Amino acid sequence: MLFFRSEEQIDAWCAARNVPRRPLVRMDQLWHLAVTWYATRLEPESRRPAPSEMRGIFERLGLYGDFWDPSSDTFR
Amino acid sequence: MDFVLQVKLAVYRTTARQGGPPEAEALARELGVPIAKLAEAYADLAKHRLLVLEGDGLTIRMAPPFSGVPTQHRVRVEGIDYFANCAWDALAIPAALHRPGEVHSRCEQSLEPLQLAVGLDGPEPTNWLFHTPVPAARWWQDIVYT
Repeated sequence: MLFFRSEEQIDAWCAARNVPRRPLVRMDQLWHLAVTWYATRLEPESRRPAPSEMRGIFERLGLYGDFWDPSSDTFR
Repeated sequence: MDFVLQVKLAVYRTTARQGGPPEAEALARELGVPIAKLAEAYADLAKHRLLVLEGDGLTIRMAPPFSGVPTQHRVRVEGIDYFANCAWDALAIPAALHRPGEVHSRCEQSLEPLQLAVGLDGPEPTNWLFHTPVPAARWWQDIVYT
């Protein structure tokens, strides 16, 4: 899970490793994921999203597809 | 309070205070328990993906979003430097601490430095991007690589 300066840099990084380019995530989307997963981490009642909730969380941020689904068999 | 929860809070609050996870022996002393009892609690927390441990079962590699080892993602919050496990966790440290911070990282391809201010409502406007080649279904197959 890495930062990149631009889409072109991601393409170059993927090409150099012969891995497919995956969905791009903007910083504002990443912030929402960070808050959803970790905002209560230091509290007694903290919880992380259950696998069944994750696809919906990603979809609400505009991140669609099996890539974001922890129960998907597509990428296993 | 449940002992495992007590350990979790102690680990995370110590990490927040000092910038990295506590040493097991120091934490066992603080909690007044034998090291074996602490190890049991650590194993339980690891099972629930709240800690990632080294092979000895007592050294904390990750207390997500915090890293127990140096990484290329450094986050400064109120004068304390933390290491994050990944780009996601770099933004998650200010989110978890509910404090503004500054992320210092890099473009993984060009190695151009990234310095990103993160406020209570999120990062400053930027066109930097996040990318992971690993699909969600495989994130925990090798969490260190992920």
